[in-house]
Amino acid sequence: MATFLLVLKIIAIVIVVFFALTFTVYIFNLDMKLTAAIEPILLKHYDKIDRDQHL
Amino acid sequence: MAKQIGADRLGDFYKEGSRVRKRREWRGLRDTLYDYSRWLWIMMTLAKFVAKPRNVKAMFRYRWMANYLAVPMMVDRHTQGLRGEYLRICHTEQDLVIKDVANLLDALFRGDRRIGNDKKFSDQVVLVDENEMTAVMMGFPNLKVLSRETPSTYVSVLLNQRAACHYIDVAQQFGLAGDVCPMPEAEAGVSIDDDAPILGACAIQCNTTCDGSLLGNGVISQRLEHENGIPVFQLAAPLRHREDDVQDYAAQEIRNAIAFVEKHTGHKWDWDAYFECAKRVNYATKCRMEWLEMNRTPYPQVFGSNLALYTETNYMAICGRIAAFEKADAKITKLARQAYDKKMMMAKEYRHRAIVWGVQSHFYMDFLLWLLNCWGIVPLTDMLSMVSTKELVTEDTPENREQAIYDMAWLTENMIMRNRTHGGYKVLLDELWEFVEMFNADMVILWEHMSCKALDGMHGLFEEKAREKGIPLVWVSHDLFDPRIISRQGVRDQINSFMRTVMQEEPIDPSLEILPDDMSW
Amino acid sequence: MKDLKHLIFFENLLLEANNELIRQAQADSKVCVAYTCENTPEPLLNLGGCFSARLRAPRTGSLDISTYYMTSFLCEYSRALLERAIEGGFNFADCIITPDGCSMMNRCIENMELLKTMGKGKENFFFQYMEIPMKADDNGLNLYVLQCQNHILKPLHEHYGIDISDAAIRQAVKEHNHICELIRAIGDYRKEEKPRITGYEFAVITLSTYVAPKYLLVDKLEETLEELKTREPDEKSKFRARVLVAGSEVDDTDFIKLIEDCGAYVCADRFCYGSLPGRNPIVLNDEEDALTQICRAYMNKGECPRFMNTDKMDHRRIYIDELAREYKADGIIYQQMKFCDPWAYEKMMGSNILRDKYGYPVLAVDRPYSIGVSGQMQTRVQAFVESIEIKKIQRGAVNG
Repeated sequence: MATFLLVLKIIAIVIVVFFALTFTVYIFNLDMKLTAAIEPILLKHYDKIDRDQHL
Repeated sequence: MAKQIGADRLGDFYKEGSRVRKRREWRGLRDTLYDYSRWLWIMMTLAKFVAKPRNVKAMFRYRWMANYLAVPMMVDRHTQGLRGEYLRICHTEQDLVIKDVANLLDALFRGDRRIGNDKKFSDQVVLVDENEMTAVMMGFPNLKVLSRETPSTYVSVLLNQRAACHYIDVAQQFGLAGDVCPMPEAEAGVSIDDDAPILGACAIQCNTTCDGSLLGNGVISQRLEHENGIPVFQLAAPLRHREDDVQDYAAQEIRNAIAFVEKHTGHKWDWDAYFECAKRVNYATKCRMEWLEMNRTPYPQVFGSNLALYTETNYMAICGRIAAFEKADAKITKLARQAYDKKMMMAKEYRHRAIVWGVQSHFYMDFLLWLLNCWGIVPLTDMLSMVSTKELVTEDTPENREQAIYDMAWLTENMIMRNRTHGGYKVLLDELWEFVEMFNADMVILWEHMSCKALDGMHGLFEEKAREKGIPLVWVSHDLFDPRIISRQGVRDQINSFMRTVMQEEPIDPSLEILPDDMSW
Repeated sequence: MKDLKHLIFFENLLLEANNELIRQAQADSKVCVAYTCENTPEPLLNLGGCFSARLRAPRTGSLDISTYYMTSFLCEYSRALLERAIEGGFNFADCIITPDGCSMMNRCIENMELLKTMGKGKENFFFQYMEIPMKADDNGLNLYVLQCQNHILKPLHEHYGIDISDAAIRQAVKEHNHICELIRAIGDYRKEEKPRITGYEFAVITLSTYVAPKYLLVDKLEETLEELKTREPDEKSKFRARVLVAGSEVDDTDFIKLIEDCGAYVCADRFCYGSLPGRNPIVLNDEEDALTQICRAYMNKGECPRFMNTDKMDHRRIYIDELAREYKADGIIYQQMKFCDPWAYEKMMGSNILRDKYGYPVLAVDRPYSIGVSGQMQTRVQAFVESIEIKKIQRGAVNG
């Protein structure tokens, strides 16, 4: 029973931590702020690719 | 930060010089948790997508893939200020479209000779245009119908307003005039820039958009046929689609297209699959008509970008071929009925009932929501949503098989936009005023896509008719895919000036009048 | 060279849309069938009792009113036509037949109709819009035939009692071919090393066959051909290079003059209103009806960029290469009227492919409808001529 409760407690903690973390990311738009920082790096990379540009 | 509709100053979420917003909206506990749960779902969809190494490889190969970093923000733009049923309708649509595009990308990269190079899979692929009704593929359930232009340009510009600029510049470097429509121009630019996945047993191109699109396809087919060895069938749908004496030609084009696909893929046309799809098309039509019927009342429910974007996708790209959209149709209709029964409103105040006509600015698709939130203008319906409502035959009989060919031809001829921009002035000019009356509208918002010659060519007559009818008509110029010509603020300014000077009104949410979103995705 | 006897006569025909010969033909009770696009089969508009006049707007000035109706983004050809129609300049026409060749032309004619610019006092006047094929195949041919029946032959018969029998059509083709053969024979002199006709003169003569009743031109064309047989070319040519002009609608002979004044001889005219392939004779057999054969000929010869099947697209460049070799062109001027969507793409494709794959020097330019004396264009053509000369010198040096 105690193990069961412990497991339940761990699951509850995981859920709460997961929620707290993801909700913080969600409400403060941190996901988009991160990807906005990644974009310029990717664009520089694309500029370096050799392309067979023609009609 | 409140549960009530219109409680937030939506302009305050923007930040000068930033691609993204300061934070997401608090919509009250229930709606915020709902929106959060959908955000989680989107993140999971994206995580599943990037879990495949080939998709990561594609991310580093194709420039347009960088735009997909902005997927959640696209949804945020379309859910601005929404609550309750409207928020749920929007997510039902957007989330499904995201899933569908993720599947499309995954399939493209699986077959792409540069990325997944799955030859067996590629041999089951038929490439289609972005602006093409996929009706002709309704009877090929085991073939993959993929559009390369949809993810590379069409969706990309929805995600990031500047997504097409690079490709437009590439096409112009090769001598293409700068005054053509930037949509086919960008698509041609992707091909010239060697930035399109290479796959497929064959391709079907069409003439269904405009002169520019037809010729842009010529650029793409150069590489496809002559370099990649992928045979191309050009499906020519008649321009004067309302005339009886073109329908036999249109039907024969469909027969020829089917024969072409059968020849190059080895798959046979399946009438059972076709009639299944036809039933779904009819259902989608029935639902759309019900939404439009509600929009004629003082309590419109599925309108603005909720109507426009979904109709474009469902009517043209899906065309009954994907069952999930039927479920979405049903869910949206249920939500709309609930809201209608409760006499709900999407914004705190409705001041004007508008028909939105012309081709909307693709880099600013959430403009319709802005119209509502900033000025209380209700975009009841738009030109691209006023598509065919014809019921297709669904019972498999010898006569119906023949009729079905004509039904597919009809759908192809009546692709979104071209059903209005081609076919004579009646469908573009005269029917607008019929809809104004039908929807009891008191205003017309007329998108002037500056490089769309078919629309520009009726400019003066639109104005004369508006004066004759006494309906305020607002021109909103833009260049479809290129915000460098007229920016989002430039688009808004045209409405702001009209509303302040002609209509002598003040905005409902003044924070939205001028937004620092030039650098935004 | 000595001036061509009838050049001023031909030039005068181009000064007004409602020219002297149109007035003469109408005085003979002939019906004037106005049209705007090369995809309208001309012989069908020239049946007994009627004649064709392809619309243009010479001496175009302000485009203010048509720009209001169609904005500044439509090509100046379509705007110039509408402006002229609003001014009443096309009131001479007894009907107008137009295919939806391009969106701009379609809108131009629709505006003419809605603004009631034509047909004043003509109770039988009609507007007809045609669907024409975008691919050259059997299905396209069937469509072409049906559309010609419904939108050319039937209305002409019903409104004006024109004989539309197979025999009448064959007679019209015979007369059409005679004009084509004369133009071709005159144009063949452009192949000579020292040509006895300038590109400008040829453009004037060819253009007049589109805008004036053909039957009234025959004697002048025959005389001109005779005259050319003995015409002495200049001992020292003013031309430094031979160019083929390709691309969109050109009904402005000043453009050809401008090119030639810059030292480039226009040896071939592969553009809308030109003779290649516009003045190809139509060969009829006796087994098949004439209408179907005419439509097939138009469909197969058409070099308009609206034809979208790959074979047709490829053929547009192959044909220019063939012509450039036949007419010994040193280079190609690929022109498009500003704001023309179809030719904007075709100019890009054609100029790149002819340069990269076929190895021609190519000048790609866009231009207004009425060019006058454009310094900018002169500079570009002069630079192009010089670049061709430099290439010739370099080639000569390499060959020793």
